[in-house]
Amino acid sequence: MKFRAAAIAAVGFLGMVDALYLTVMRGVRVPCSATGGCNEVLTSEYSTIMGVPLSVIGLVFYVTVFCLAVLDVFEVAPLLKWIFRLALPAFVVTLILLYLQAFVILHFCQYCLASAAFVTTIFLIAAWPRRATQNLN
Amino acid sequence: MYYLRMSNKTKPLIVILVAVVMAAGIAVYWSKQSSASGAGANASIEANAGGGHIRGRESATVTLVEFGDYQCPACGYFYPMVEELLRRYPDKVKLEFHHYPLIQMHPFALAAAKATEAAADQGKFWEMHDLIYKNQPIWSRSPNPEAQFLAYAADLGLDANKFMRATKSPEIEKRILEDIQRGSDAKVASTQTFIVNGQSLDPLPNGVDEFAAKIGVVPPTSK
Repeated sequence: MKFRAAAIAAVGFLGMVDALYLTVMRGVRVPCSATGGCNEVLTSEYSTIMGVPLSVIGLVFYVTVFCLAVLDVFEVAPLLKWIFRLALPAFVVTLILLYLQAFVILHFCQYCLASAAFVTTIFLIAAWPRRATQNLN
Repeated sequence: MYYLRMSNKTKPLIVILVAVVMAAGIAVYWSKQSSASGAGANASIEANAGGGHIRGRESATVTLVEFGDYQCPACGYFYPMVEELLRRYPDKVKLEFHHYPLIQMHPFALAAAKATEAAADQGKFWEMHDLIYKNQPIWSRSPNPEAQFLAYAADLGLDANKFMRATKSPEIEKRILEDIQRGSDAKVASTQTFIVNGQSLDPLPNGVDEFAAKIGVVPPTSK
């Protein structure tokens, strides 16, 4: 069993649900009991890139990562390297989005924070030195 | 059993397909639960709030009631949309604006509301309202937004002393508190709440055309 890829697939699945939820709920006020600022973040000018909602971009990322991880688990091809290559820019974008929430929009969205945690986890698992985890792989 | 007999290349495709369908199902179910729980869907609003500042023709058939917070980014986002709506349909739509500053989240929202009310005392509520919404990204990040509001008052030709005194007057604070009370009575869940004919607009519209359709000034199918 390829534990690293399986773990990434599991986190990717959670990310898919989160991104799909935000895509379905676009334009609708979402419940936001944990952080209070979801609607401010989700309707801010930073919620789209060239007209494309960030939730849709996130969804494409999670679906791709999930597919690659599942293919790796079934040993169709070793794809962790490719997951890392996708997760690295995603992690950088996540840091930028966290900065925007904290210092520009001045509100936090719990769904975006969850997504940030998912991307960070995927990035860390994919970036973990192979030698340290070779027994698990 | 059939799954076990599949080739190793077919199995991952099945897993991916099942997972994507499951994720979609969970997300759709979750979103329906959210909508049903009334996250902002103020179904119990029974009547327009009354009072407030009116922009547009008295004879306009549709009154768009807004509970706004000048520091709320979403309110700033909808401001140009509402203005465009009033410009396109002057005979059909009028705006009734109420203050609803969320002071726990927006530390300068109350000061901004006071600035508009102080300008209202000199007959320039809407002019200050426009300046404050248009410049929201500037003053909301300023360490001293009151100085910005004073500068806007000067730009509008207001008496600076009267303006400053008014921003500190209990009368203005009372007006804003009354608006907040109206909002609470109308069960306003958050800022940037629009109410038409006693119904809150939820989901919020995407763009002016959808906005016009939602409030009934154009047929829903027209673009």
